[in-house]
Amino acid sequence: MSDLSFTENLTSSDITIEGTVGKVVAEDAKMSMRNVNVFYADKQAIKNVSLDLARNQVTALIGPSGCGKSTFLRCLNRMNDTIPICRVEGELLLEEQDIYAKNLDPVLLRARVGMVFQKPNPFPKSIYDNVAYGPKIHGLATNKAELDEIVISSLQKAGLFNEVKDRLDSPGTGLSGGQQQRLCIARTIAVSPEVILMDEPASALDPIATAVIEELIDELKEKYTIAIVTHSMQQAARVSQTTAYFHMGQLVEMGKTEQIFTNPVHTLTENYITGRFG
Amino acid sequence: MNRTTTEKVVKSLKQRHRKEKLFKAAGFASVCFGFLLVLTLISDIVIKATPAFHQHWLKLEIDYQQEWLGVDSLDYEKLESADYRKVLRRSILAMMPEVSGRQDKRSLYKLVSNNAEFTVRDALLKSPEFIGKKKNVWVMLDDDVDSYLKENTEFSQTGIRISEKQAGWIEQWYNNGLIDKQWNTEFLTSGDSREPELAGVRGALTGTMWTMLVTLILSFPLGVAAALYLEEFAPSNRFTDFIEVNINNLAAVPSIVFGLLGLAVIINLFGMPRSTPLVGGVVLTLMTLPTIIIASRASIKAVPPSIREAALGLGASKMQVAFGHVLPLAMPGIITGTIIGMAQALGETAPLLMIGMVAFIVDVPMGVTDASTVMPVQIYLWADSPERAFLAKTSAAILVLLTFLMMMNTLAATLRRKFEKRF
Ligand SMILES: Nc1ncnc2c1ncn2[C@@H]1O[C@H](COP(=O)(O)OP(=O)(O)OP(=O)(O)O)[C@@H](O)[C@H]1O
Ligand SMILES: [Mg+2]
Repeated sequence: MSDLSFTENLTSSDITIEGTVGKVVAEDAKMSMRNVNVFYADKQAIKNVSLDLARNQVTALIGPSGCGKSTFLRCLNRMNDTIPICRVEGELLLEEQDIYAKNLDPVLLRARVGMVFQKPNPFPKSIYDNVAYGPKIHGLATNKAELDEIVISSLQKAGLFNEVKDRLDSPGTGLSGGQQQRLCIARTIAVSPEVILMDEPASALDPIATAVIEELIDELKEKYTIAIVTHSMQQAARVSQTTAYFHMGQLVEMGKTEQIFTNPVHTLTENYITGRFG
Repeated sequence: MNRTTTEKVVKSLKQRHRKEKLFKAAGFASVCFGFLLVLTLISDIVIKATPAFHQHWLKLEIDYQQEWLGVDSLDYEKLESADYRKVLRRSILAMMPEVSGRQDKRSLYKLVSNNAEFTVRDALLKSPEFIGKKKNVWVMLDDDVDSYLKENTEFSQTGIRISEKQAGWIEQWYNNGLIDKQWNTEFLTSGDSREPELAGVRGALTGTMWTMLVTLILSFPLGVAAALYLEEFAPSNRFTDFIEVNINNLAAVPSIVFGLLGLAVIINLFGMPRSTPLVGGVVLTLMTLPTIIIASRASIKAVPPSIREAALGLGASKMQVAFGHVLPLAMPGIITGTIIGMAQALGETAPLLMIGMVAFIVDVPMGVTDASTVMPVQIYLWADSPERAFLAKTSAAILVLLTFLMMMNTLAATLRRKFEKRF
């Protein structure tokens, strides 16, 4: 059964979505989005979505393919700015600050809200240079020793240091897929962001590499606020505290992960989680 | 898969393999054909060019008589402007006492090159103690004599102006061991001349280097900057579409049109000096730019978007992404495009004719504002000359041009490899 027919089955039903079910507001919100609409040209990809990312928690975004999870995630650090036809409406706040404000520099925003992509995309440079790139462009280190320190601690936090400590000068593209993804995470951590966005970070990895990444995410939430898009329900259940279920550009249901997976309120959520259609 | 499917696949497999074999054979044949053509071309040029790298010299016993020179023995300053022609001619006559009559004497004098008297002068200036004494000096033979000796054919052949009498004298010298064949270094060290035996490629080669330098300095940064801007920064709207179409059109414009433009705008309107590498370089830049821009855009486009996203996601500015990531990754392709454009420019004649780089220029240009010519134009000029010796010079000049091109390509390949090495 392909994802597409899955979606079709769901929409062919008469289930309607009226607003969001569950609790979208967090007590201690790191980022809060209200009434977000996103358009690609005239096509609306996100419809009136409101949700909070709770501080030092992992929020999972789940939903069928094409429902707008990536689109929503990319709004949070303005990566959508690179797509000319993309238009974002609504209120998006990072610590009370409007991230789409005219006077806000997206470069600064992206230093505070980092992103890890679905496919590992290390630079064609050495492992060291990959991690050092962010600190270098932002001028975070004043000398070589400081830079070394940042690189090593980032690699350690990403759980990669022991595997690569003897070959920091070899190309980052020469690592295995799972190592590359951890390198990308280390690269993001090196800038010391406040929020880390991850778009299916483990989708290209085998179960063991995935487990390593999941463990890593669990540790990272001590210091960072994390939003993760995933297709794996088990993964969402394992790593996240809050789960948001998207459907056709709308946020259908949001709540504690435990509750969403054991006791979903909305029929669509239940159908998706149980793998039942219609 | 059941039996019949397997059988069908096996059947079609045979045909597919046959097609593949056929294609391989055809491809190999065309490569061989191309290689053969190039080999024929190169060997033809090399064979034709070899005579140009040698030159025949004549040993003369020069009698530096003060009376003939018209100077006092003490007056060394005047040595430079003394009458060396008289010394040379008298010395030749002294060696050939049997020649008499004005006509015969004149045809005898013609056998040595025009610059022989300067060789005679330089020999004395170098060691003035020989004044009033005799000294053996090697002088260059005239190009007709040279061609006659090289080709070893009948006299008065087309293009070789040697009479029967002259042929006899030459043979006499030859048998007496007065004639020697030497490497013709002049060919690479001197500029153009009306006398084939004196003509060299240094002037044209230097002109080509200056012109290429101007072209490279202008077209590479401009082309790369334009491509980067169009790909990475420009908003996609009607205006950029319009520019894109025009760049593509520009690449297809016949090169002579750029020459006309150069003449009308760069020389007549802006008043830049005509016949110079500066103007030539500007005109060739116009011609090369579209090639570089198109190639650069293609290779910038080929840089994976994930690299851009990665850098942007870390908070790199557009500028940092473009120059720190996109440009280095696109560089091998950009260099390839540049070398194609430069190679085109290197062989270009037509637009340069329009801006006067076809003039007969003896001096080696010392800068981009000195009047000069370029290799392809020099080849064209020599190919058009009636003297026999220019035939070989033409081929030799083509060889020099090809060598220059090869050196340019090697440099580009080295640079490319350097950029490709970065993982
Ligand atoms: N660059 C784009 N231009 C136009 N439409 C787009 C673009 N990117 C996404 N879309 C559309 O927006 C909708 C949401 O896409 P999005 O990538 O956010 O889905 P997704 O939930 O991440 O799906 P998946 O799970 O397959 O990654 C889709 O209908 C898609 O076709
Ligand atoms: Mg996606």
